[in-house]
Amino acid sequence: MLLTGAQIVMECLLEQGVDTVFGYPGGAVLNLYDALYEYRDRIRHIRTCHEQAAAHAADGYARASGKIGVCIATSGPGATNLVTGIATAYMDSVPVVAITGNVARGLLGLDSFQEVDITGITMPVTKHNYLVRDVEDLADTLRSAFRIAGSWRKGPVLVDIPKDVTAQKTEFTPCRPVPPEEPPLPDEECFLRAAALLQKSERPFFYCGGGVISSGASNEARRFAEKIDAPVACSLMCQGGYDQRDERYMGMLGMHGTKVSAEAIRNCDLFVAAGTRFSDRVLCSAGSFAEGRPILQIDIDAAEFGKNLPVSLSLKGDVKAVLAKLAGMLPQQKHTAWMAQVRGWKRRYPLRQTGAPGEVLPQDVLETLCRLTEGEAVLTTEVGQHQMWAAQYYTFRRPRQFLTSGGLGTMGYGLGAAIGAQLARPGSRVVNIAGDGSFHMNCAELSTLARCRLPVVELIFDNSVLGMVRQWQKLFYGGRFSQTDLGGGTDYALLANAFGVKALKIETKDEIEPVLRQALALREPVLIDCVISRDQNVLPMVPAGGSVEDPMLTMPSNLSKEESH
Amino acid sequence: MKGSGEREYILSVLARNNPGVLLRIAGLFSRRCYNILSIVASQTENTEYSRILIVVSGDDRIVNQVDKQLCKLVDIEEVNVLDRNKAVVREHLLLKVERTLQNSEKLVQIAGVFHANILSVTPDSMIVELTGDAGTINSFIELYTPYHVLKILRTGSMAMSIGKNF
Repeated sequence: MLLTGAQIVMECLLEQGVDTVFGYPGGAVLNLYDALYEYRDRIRHIRTCHEQAAAHAADGYARASGKIGVCIATSGPGATNLVTGIATAYMDSVPVVAITGNVARGLLGLDSFQEVDITGITMPVTKHNYLVRDVEDLADTLRSAFRIAGSWRKGPVLVDIPKDVTAQKTEFTPCRPVPPEEPPLPDEECFLRAAALLQKSERPFFYCGGGVISSGASNEARRFAEKIDAPVACSLMCQGGYDQRDERYMGMLGMHGTKVSAEAIRNCDLFVAAGTRFSDRVLCSAGSFAEGRPILQIDIDAAEFGKNLPVSLSLKGDVKAVLAKLAGMLPQQKHTAWMAQVRGWKRRYPLRQTGAPGEVLPQDVLETLCRLTEGEAVLTTEVGQHQMWAAQYYTFRRPRQFLTSGGLGTMGYGLGAAIGAQLARPGSRVVNIAGDGSFHMNCAELSTLARCRLPVVELIFDNSVLGMVRQWQKLFYGGRFSQTDLGGGTDYALLANAFGVKALKIETKDEIEPVLRQALALREPVLIDCVISRDQNVLPMVPAGGSVEDPMLTMPSNLSKEESH
Repeated sequence: MKGSGEREYILSVLARNNPGVLLRIAGLFSRRCYNILSIVASQTENTEYSRILIVVSGDDRIVNQVDKQLCKLVDIEEVNVLDRNKAVVREHLLLKVERTLQNSEKLVQIAGVFHANILSVTPDSMIVELTGDAGTINSFIELYTPYHVLKILRTGSMAMSIGKNF
């Protein structure tokens, strides 16, 4: 059939099973939006207030559903506004296809109105990108974009389409999407060597990263842990990738990991890592990470072997397939003494926040939220102290339940991601855990919640400071709180109401449960202003240059002025 | 200054001739802080592909990373780290030197020793070309240096592995 470029984009989206896109209209995408109007019964378009939120929403949609998220923006500022969202998805390997309009081909390269070289700009933060110069190439380019975004190590792909290409007509031939190719398994010898290492180990440590979630390997990870009889820690990106109610689970590992994980890594004799890139926030000081112990790394991306940490043995392949095969090769292991030791640490080092009597503690809020939502809510977060508390104190049971910007650390991510998550999973309770600092970065999206009637709970830990930066200033800058006092001038209830969003407030410990109950009972967007102390810190913490085996459990009484990050 | 263990590696990269492919490669090197000493790109026998020869300085770990990161670029078909002992490595040089009545014979002599071609002679200048490995080219330039070299252009290393199957 003879279709315009814009109609071909719609047909390709349908071909890929896309029924929801996020975006913002503009001059260079007028044709695309005209086609969206035509296809409105089959493709739902969610307009955010700012393109950045559209990119985060596509990312949140992808993380919550496992499908590929799609966002659309116009040329120039529309496209550049997507960049933070694309970079966020890139750092966390989230499959997103971003479609941007550009000026007509005849105007390219002439500094035309709203022209920007978005393929040049996004080269470092996409898996791949395209500028479509001919409508004949459009359909296959979009198909490639989806294939690349969703295969191997996933990631964002951008397709830039000049305005006149969306108007050109050509013959369109529908095409069934090709299933992503199965990455090959490592060779047999690697498996045998891995199995030998595992059988020799008496105190194995199993560490899961975000790759466990993106490859859908949660069940395989659980069976593997049982087979090798090991305790399990997860990275920030793998929260929920391993059921945290399981007795093997020790908590996070890394800068704000648990003391239990730290003790276990200090005492283990083999470190097994699956689907993780050993970020500096996990390694802390790379030189002292599991020093002298063999490390077995499983990952789809060979470039992650030896990038930040030398490893003894690497298995390149899909984490799910590799874990399944490895578990199948091994006889049941039994490490009774080791597991008893881990249980002992779990009893000895529970995570516990402290404060003044009656103080609203983030831990209590999050644990109550967890109880009231039966551990089944989808949590999105912004970035900062609240993000770490959410990871520490909500007991996640399933993958795709915790959506956070781990790699890029994007303040302003959470609310956009919550929009995407709620649309991907209409039956789930979606709660965005925010700090008051992050909230101010993207609060306009409350109007998107109201307009689309998305029953997202926006829970703000309101301490009137940029808490995480302030914590570092406290620890390493002699308490010189440069620009981290927010002054607390915002009336959250007024603001929420202005957008058509209900507002509730938690000021005392007694209000935690009733207010959360009330918010969760409303089937509409609601903001909770939860006032907490500015002196609450994220602990444990491995200070800069410190070893992951030796986290600080309390803030030092005499705060050092010398150190810096 | 090169640190211990740092040496030069030659990477031979086969890439699809899509727009921006050289930019993708150069961008990867710059953002990952790898050093490019030289880069030579040209079309291959198949016009849909380019062969790009990159000389990198670093240690084994770095070159390993470069190799794997390059392989992840969608437009890249294959990456080979060439073994200098099993490859022919050549550079091309154009050198313009000042010519005077006194030195003209000397300039021609040096070119003769290296079997270099004289491409142009004017009353006050001479252009010579030479193909050879980096060492030969360096000594050639060194011999001309006392005679006031006006301009130098060198291509960077081209390299081809030896044998039918490589």
